[in-house]
Amino acid sequence: MHQVTGTHPDVLLMLLADARLPTGGHTQSAGLEPALRAGMAPRDVPAYMAARLATTVRVEAGTAVVARHVALGPARAADGAPTLADVRAAWAARTPSPALRETSERLGRGYLRLLRRLWPDHPALAVLEEDLPTRGRRGALTVAGTARPAAGVPRPLVLGVLAACAGLDAVRLARLVAYDDAQTVAAASLKLEPVDPAETTTWVLAAGPDIDDVVAEVSHLTDPDHIPAHGAPLMEQWAEHHARTTERLFSA
Amino acid sequence: MPENTAPVDTQPVRTRSLRLGVAGPVGTGKSSLIALVCRELADELSLGVITNDIYTDEDARFLRSAGVLDPERIRAVETGACPHTAIRDDITANLMAVEDLEEDFAPLDVVLVESGGDNLTATFSPALVDAQIFVLDVAGGGDVARKGGPGIARADLLVVNKTDLAPYVGVDVAQMVSDGEAAREGRPVLALSREDPASRARLKAWVYEVLAAHTGGHHVPQDPGPMAPHFHAEDEDHGHDHAHDDHTHDGEHAQPRDHTHA
Repeated sequence: MHQVTGTHPDVLLMLLADARLPTGGHTQSAGLEPALRAGMAPRDVPAYMAARLATTVRVEAGTAVVARHVALGPARAADGAPTLADVRAAWAARTPSPALRETSERLGRGYLRLLRRLWPDHPALAVLEEDLPTRGRRGALTVAGTARPAAGVPRPLVLGVLAACAGLDAVRLARLVAYDDAQTVAAASLKLEPVDPAETTTWVLAAGPDIDDVVAEVSHLTDPDHIPAHGAPLMEQWAEHHARTTERLFSA
Repeated sequence: MPENTAPVDTQPVRTRSLRLGVAGPVGTGKSSLIALVCRELADELSLGVITNDIYTDEDARFLRSAGVLDPERIRAVETGACPHTAIRDDITANLMAVEDLEEDFAPLDVVLVESGGDNLTATFSPALVDAQIFVLDVAGGGDVARKGGPGIARADLLVVNKTDLAPYVGVDVAQMVSDGEAAREGRPVLALSREDPASRARLKAWVYEVLAAHTGGHHVPQDPGPMAPHFHAEDEDHGHDHAHDDHTHDGEHAQPRDHTHA
């Protein structure tokens, strides 16, 4: 057992924002490869980053923030208080693409594996196990005969529980989700349409105000019903197409 | 149930298989070697296969279509652009896939994990596999075994594959095997051709040997290491201070296995 205690939340924040974290993040392009393959111009990558921050990232960040709140359990005894199953349902309703849901659940599993190792006895993990029994538990996820997970815990939901365990507040958590998405786009662009890496770094920093807007919109949320529901139908269509494409560099 | 009356079956169901990695450069015959192992052993052992592909599930589909194993026991992990990462530093996706197979088909005897084709430096983490085979082929050139690298030097088994092609590509198999043996300081080298029943039998015997050591509890996974160490056979007179990595594991200069000084 390695229960993490006494580590400053900022260190844990940096850990979670670090691409070297072993959770399979190197297979992800935040939808950039599907977008470029569909004909989006490479010069539009910064605009693509901004579009995500205005839409899907708000769903992700809102889900994470509300999941953190529920996992901390202030209202758990109250009648009709939301559970993590409600948070998952709210996220799924706002993520209509099956390919995107599946990707998120696959990534969530990687984070969950780490979470179970780092905070095996944390009450927030117990809430997750209680609210989403067997979800994300190894073995229970695989549809026999395929490599497809049946259902699981989406990445933002696990991040919310991780934040609860790590002592990260909602503002830091929302900023983490938003920053990670922008940086994933930037890093993937270096593999797909290489430019000077200093250039992509300026894109991420230029997205700073958009990242702050995400934080402002979601960091106070506590109710799954209030998670933003901004759709990005074109990205969803690209994601569906990409899931059936061969010779791809990134899985999503 | 009848099998529960057998005296040896008082132990809990064993779910931890022998996890056997197969690494090596692109095109050396990793998938074919796995198909061969499945063909030889599927009737005797409970097997599973995880393939790692950069782009798609091509290798998994090849193995399923080969008809050597129940297709449900063959699963693909997509590594993205980093096949090396997925078997070496961030093994999360592979570990989850192996654990799923072990749970869905418990008890499995052996799970074969095929790496995505990479270069001579790609080796598995010992946290992912218990033992690993490094595959070269004669068609890749007779000098590759001599070039060395962690997989060639320290994988549990080095396979020199497609020996039946040697006459067509002008490679001396005996020399290539001997180069491999020189680089491996006593670790086994197997010249393999799927056309040669004796070589297939030697591969099968090696798998059984490792499996016996694993189930007997005395097999300790070895890390071939991330890079090639110094090789001393031809430069033992140099004035090196012996402070490099391959000494620090045992802190002992007199280990004959790590040296050819004697």
